[in-house]
Amino acid sequence: MKRLEADQVDAVLRRGATARRSDGQPPRFARGDRVRVLNLHPYGHTRMPRYVRGRCGVVDRDHGLFVLPDSNAHGLGECPQHVYSVRFTGVELWGPEAPDADRVHVDLWDCYLTAEPDGTEE
Amino acid sequence: MSKHQHNAPLPDPVLRVKALESLLIEKGLVDPAALDLLIDTYENQVGPRNGARVVARAWTDPSYRSRLLRDATAAIAEMGFEGRQGEDMVVVENTERVHNLVVCTLCSCYPWPVLGLPPVWYKAAPYRARAVREPRKVLAEFGVDLVDGVEVRVWDSTAELRYLVLPRRPDGTERLSEQELAELVTRDSMIGAGVVPGSKSTDT
Repeated sequence: MKRLEADQVDAVLRRGATARRSDGQPPRFARGDRVRVLNLHPYGHTRMPRYVRGRCGVVDRDHGLFVLPDSNAHGLGECPQHVYSVRFTGVELWGPEAPDADRVHVDLWDCYLTAEPDGTEE
Repeated sequence: MSKHQHNAPLPDPVLRVKALESLLIEKGLVDPAALDLLIDTYENQVGPRNGARVVARAWTDPSYRSRLLRDATAAIAEMGFEGRQGEDMVVVENTERVHNLVVCTLCSCYPWPVLGLPPVWYKAAPYRARAVREPRKVLAEFGVDLVDGVEVRVWDSTAELRYLVLPRRPDGTERLSEQELAELVTRDSMIGAGVVPGSKSTDT
């Protein structure tokens, strides 16, 4: 392990450590696409929150390519993929009693999603 | 006034941290001077006053505002704020019709360069669970009562993007300077868990 020395602190904090990459898998989705989050329950690390699994939403924006934590956290490589902001209605997530005007945006990696041609959301 | 009593034992987490710190230093894994600098940075240098300066500039400079909404990372770096936990920023704007709220349901992700370290409630399970499930109730508990019909947009920052809310500018502040405006901007308003005192989007 490399030790962080006092004279490096400022530069290291300023530089940060972005997980954005310039090369990776091409995007499978675009803004406006209806998508469904896969209903997967992996034993390892994932950034797929449980409350959106199996739920349908709309791609709101494409943030670009980022290291995939699901593989990187296990030393299986960075496997950069597109991350999308997917917009869900409160009703889709929590049922008919949720206010109509509630939206939850969740940043999700490409491989968490499948196309939902018959989706009825929004 | 310190509540510390000299004869009382230190709480467990404090003892654990002290034990870990002395072990790491003893084994040469941590430079104590670097540790002091890290603590000083986030205790005294970096905090929500940075974000407040970004907000005040966006309120007073329309071209900065559009750069900020288009490429937040670059626009924030223009003000000298960048780096760890702010590598890839997104700014979302509150309007008459939309109120934004930021949460990290999986842990405690937070935009350090503009807001510093997160408050305890932001990291606590009840906020993380309820912000997505019943955001209007959570907002009401923070004193934000939304007018009917306002859309609530919750941003769950579980990936690598970090979010800052651009709150609404209060009415009657046309004559204030950028610096005076920055003084009005609260930390919670930049998380979306509050509004800037005097601004609308609440029906108080």
